Amino acid sequence: MQAFSAFLIPILDLQLLSLVAIGTFAGIYIGAIPGLSVTMAVSILISFTFKWDVYPALSLMIGIFMGGVYGGSRTAILLNIPGAPAAIATALDGYPMAKRGEAGEAIGITTVMSFFGGFVGIIVLAVAAPLVSDFALRFQPRDYMLLAVLGILLVGSLSGDSLIKGVFAGALGILIGTVGLDPLTIADRFTFQLPELRGGISFIAVMIGMFGISEALMQLHDVNKAAIKQKISRIVPSWGTVRKYLPLSLQSSGIGVIIGALPGTGGDIAALMAYDHAKRVTKNPEVPFGEGAREGLVAPETANNAAVGGAFIPMMTLGIPGDAVTAIMIGALFIHGLNPGPMLMIEKPDMFWFIVGALTMANCFMLLFGLTGIKTFVKIVEMPRSVLIPLIFLLSIVGAYAVNGSLTDVYWMLGFGVLGYFMKLYGYQLGPVILGVILSRLLDDNWRRAIISEQESLPMLLKGIVTSPLSLVLMVSVILIIAAKTPLWRRAFGTRG
Amino acid sequence: MSVVRTRRPGEAVFSLFLAGVSGFLLWTAFGISGFEALSSPGALPMAAAGTMLVTALAVAVQTLRSAPDKAQTLARDIVPMPIVLTVVLVAGYALLLKPLGFLPTSFLFVAILIRMLGGQGLIFCAAISAGSVFLIYVVFRVIFNVLMPEGIVPEREILAFIGSIFSGAR
Repeated sequence: MQAFSAFLIPILDLQLLSLVAIGTFAGIYIGAIPGLSVTMAVSILISFTFKWDVYPALSLMIGIFMGGVYGGSRTAILLNIPGAPAAIATALDGYPMAKRGEAGEAIGITTVMSFFGGFVGIIVLAVAAPLVSDFALRFQPRDYMLLAVLGILLVGSLSGDSLIKGVFAGALGILIGTVGLDPLTIADRFTFQLPELRGGISFIAVMIGMFGISEALMQLHDVNKAAIKQKISRIVPSWGTVRKYLPLSLQSSGIGVIIGALPGTGGDIAALMAYDHAKRVTKNPEVPFGEGAREGLVAPETANNAAVGGAFIPMMTLGIPGDAVTAIMIGALFIHGLNPGPMLMIEKPDMFWFIVGALTMANCFMLLFGLTGIKTFVKIVEMPRSVLIPLIFLLSIVGAYAVNGSLTDVYWMLGFGVLGYFMKLYGYQLGPVILGVILSRLLDDNWRRAIISEQESLPMLLKGIVTSPLSLVLMVSVILIIAAKTPLWRRAFGTRG
Repeated sequence: MSVVRTRRPGEAVFSLFLAGVSGFLLWTAFGISGFEALSSPGALPMAAAGTMLVTALAVAVQTLRSAPDKAQTLARDIVPMPIVLTVVLVAGYALLLKPLGFLPTSFLFVAILIRMLGGQGLIFCAAISAGSVFLIYVVFRVIFNVLMPEGIVPEREILAFIGSIFSGAR
């Protein structure tokens, strides 16, 4: 009953409902405009909402997350530019449909299927998270430590071509997270006797720099790229069309939730896997894949929205973010004094059910806003980049400054922005950096707890790991991820590293 | 078919830079508490910096071994002038924010950047900049209550004056 009341809060409270609606609406546009990403928007938003109560702040961020994942599909269809990585697969068949004059139909199918996928993801989150959370209570500090390492390694290995670069990025993030006074011994760590560094580096400045400034700098390479205009036809799909693709969307939702729930994976991988699945199970598509097959739209769009619910499962139950956006969401919860993980699920179950309620409403608003206002939308996304990019810079600077009213944070943001720009340019992924920053504290605390409980003995810790089935599974997973990228493994199994 | 990896301009310098920084950070991490204990405050920083150094060296070796990409140039593909100027402008913004204040600094920053990136007319740049800075100011100062440096603009007095007009109208 208490859970149901918490679920209803964002539905019955007009202010929170409006914030979810505003967030979803803004998220659709942010996700759609190339150069603006959901990660960027949520990281900038934290700096403005940190003084708010937790419910309004979360309502806005959840709306942006849900809307943003969907919004990326629109520019993928209309301009062949995926607004977000999760919409890369959508462009493969969406844009050919638009070129045939079926942009409206493509957007309609995408919207309805995204709604369906989002709904499946939320149901699985509501059912599975309490079970996972109960299980997570049995976790020992060494398990959390291994889980954090696993999460960073997965992001590093799955989000880029090079595991070595992914590991470097994750280690850099962990190191950034340790800067400042050690919370246990008050020892200085990387402070260089500077008082400004004793409180650590603001993770918001790091996030805005890495995702806001570096992305905006990357966009400067294509500042004069012209947009191709599309004609919009019928938007709302017929019931017959929806019914026809329902079995495929259900399968794709399953893929989306599972992939989304794995730490380190997100909507982009889920969408590509679902697209691949659709190609394999669709024997005779009306139009070939890559030339405007509707199945090629249905599968990735259902999967990437189902992955949103999935990504909240490890975040809420284990405190391990599923991807960069949920890493930032964890940061937002930290700012509001909440510590995501199994204890949060027990001590504050209302928070979990509130998030489920807000996600449900965001999904409904996504359907509503997705099927309306498309002609106005087309005009807005055609805004010249030379106007858009300066505004991204301004918002990023204001965001970095606003949290502590400190210019030092602006310089950090700029420094990490430039570093992130070069890292991106030379093939390093930035997701593991943020994951490292967020998980640094969890890793530090649990490593020290684990090793102290084994009387500072590494052999004893290893013995503890190999004699516990859960620790062993986690340890083997860590080893397998590293081994899978070695030349020896490639020779043995013939895969590309 | 294997893909031959090429080295982009500046990539070797960047990878060596990361390796150098990682080495320095490992040395600094060692200075926190040395090898005092596995649970010491320096243990995780040393592990992180050590991992950074090993992986950065591995990347540096890979990069140095790969053939340079001759189709790209540093000035055109890696650090083109708009990027250098933008970074300088952001740093300039940070320097001027306190003495000049949010409104004039932001106006100048956005107007100059639009002009530099798009080459539009001065009036267009000024109008877009004024409109967008005003909107951002209203949203963040009035709605989100984010305080930005006032500088040379007496914001509080202006806001109080506007407030008094509305209270007078009531």
